[in-house]
Amino acid sequence: MVEMRDVYKYFGQLKALDNVSLDVHDGEKMVLIGPSGSGKSTLLRSINQLEKIDHGHIVVDGIDISDPETNINKVREEIGMVFQSFNVFPHKTVLENVNLAQVVVRKRSKKEASEISRELLNKVGIIEKVNEYPEKLSGGQQQRVAIARALAMKPKIMLFDEPTSALDPEMIGEVLDVMIKLAKEGITMIVVTHEMGFAREVADSVIFMDYGAIIEEGTPEHFFKNPIQERTKIFLNQIL
Amino acid sequence: MAEITDEDKTKQKIVIDVGDGAAIPSKEDVGLFTAWRVSFVGAVAIVAYLAIFNPDPYWEILKFLPDGILVTFQVTIAAIILALVIGLFTGLGRISKNRILNGIASLYVEIIRGIPLLVQLFYIYFALGRIVNVPAMASAIIAMSVCYGAYMGEIFRAGIESISKGQMEAARSLGMTSAQAMRHVILPQAIKTILPPIGNEFVALLKDSSLVSILAVSDLLRRGREFAAASFNYFETYTMVALVYLIITLFLSKLISIMENRVGVDK
Repeated sequence: MVEMRDVYKYFGQLKALDNVSLDVHDGEKMVLIGPSGSGKSTLLRSINQLEKIDHGHIVVDGIDISDPETNINKVREEIGMVFQSFNVFPHKTVLENVNLAQVVVRKRSKKEASEISRELLNKVGIIEKVNEYPEKLSGGQQQRVAIARALAMKPKIMLFDEPTSALDPEMIGEVLDVMIKLAKEGITMIVVTHEMGFAREVADSVIFMDYGAIIEEGTPEHFFKNPIQERTKIFLNQIL
Repeated sequence: MAEITDEDKTKQKIVIDVGDGAAIPSKEDVGLFTAWRVSFVGAVAIVAYLAIFNPDPYWEILKFLPDGILVTFQVTIAAIILALVIGLFTGLGRISKNRILNGIASLYVEIIRGIPLLVQLFYIYFALGRIVNVPAMASAIIAMSVCYGAYMGEIFRAGIESISKGQMEAARSLGMTSAQAMRHVILPQAIKTILPPIGNEFVALLKDSSLVSILAVSDLLRRGREFAAASFNYFETYTMVALVYLIITLFLSKLISIMENRVGVDK
């Protein structure tokens, strides 16, 4: 589903991605962990080209997005993205938030879009707020709207960029529950997170990054029972 | 003209915002609110008093002016609409990553802001008039909108840049093109920030429209000049003209502030 080969990305002098190669298979749940500034968000954002890479190839669902001929908008339709800061549209109601891209991008009728939206809002447990504006919602509720908004495009893959890091502790659970539910439905997911419980429960594979490079990858058991690399051990000791 | 942000945000944090439109009264600002009342009621009362108790020449002047008021409004409204269109594209050009578009927009803003409006009016009417014959009314509207378009461009740019980057990223990651994201996500949010300075520009444009009287456009000021020249009542005529301008700008300021409250502008 996602294939990265020899990817480099620089921010000025800083190597944000240093020779990264990885494969995410259809239906795989991958969790990216690592200290802040290690490049995990940059890696995630390069998959839908919110960050342009300087070298290498990224192939998503058979389409090489590093090829300048590729219509990135078409590829992005198939990639759902959830942000740390929610980024719901404050001038639109919950329903309109979820409807917008369906109507504008997928060209669905408003009626058809609304049906899909309601179904998804029901799924993320926020159906009673359809006509509210985001400012009336808690962070956890806003993030669930953002998840529904991404799902409404019927994406083949979902990217989560620290989806619970901006939330108050009591709201983390409600968002993780939705993500776990999604994972069980079999959609391909790549998640940047510090929630190790989520990684343990859901992940098929875990990748540890530091200084823009992949240091270690493996199953959750491998990671939490006997990590090999010294840096991985230090990091896991700090956060567990 | 109203400058809403500084060129270099990092260097200068303090922005002294002095619009040159009539002060738009807001409810919190008690002093201004009463100043608005005093001047508005005062101006209307003086005009009424003069017209009733001194009908010759004041009532005569007042009867002579409405044609000019109409022209002033025609120029102002046509120019503001054109300026908004020019301003939108200029603002988009100024934030564009396309170097050519960005260059053109920036050049336009720099050049126009560096030349006085009166000179621009002369230039379009007299200098360009040697090449193509533009009617007075049209050149007045073109000059006003080209000039104000540059200032509007800066307002649009600042308004668009005030929306957090995450909004654009969220829209783009849903597969929207940058034009779709602009139209459906960024501009509807930016409009709240943009509206107050646009209101200011509207009032400022109305006042500056008196400059078009130097062309053969019979606006409010020119009608006054015509009356004064024929009757030699200079003092009386220009008193009336000034009062009528004052009443119009005060009225418009009020209208704009009501409109802003409706849209829910957060100041």
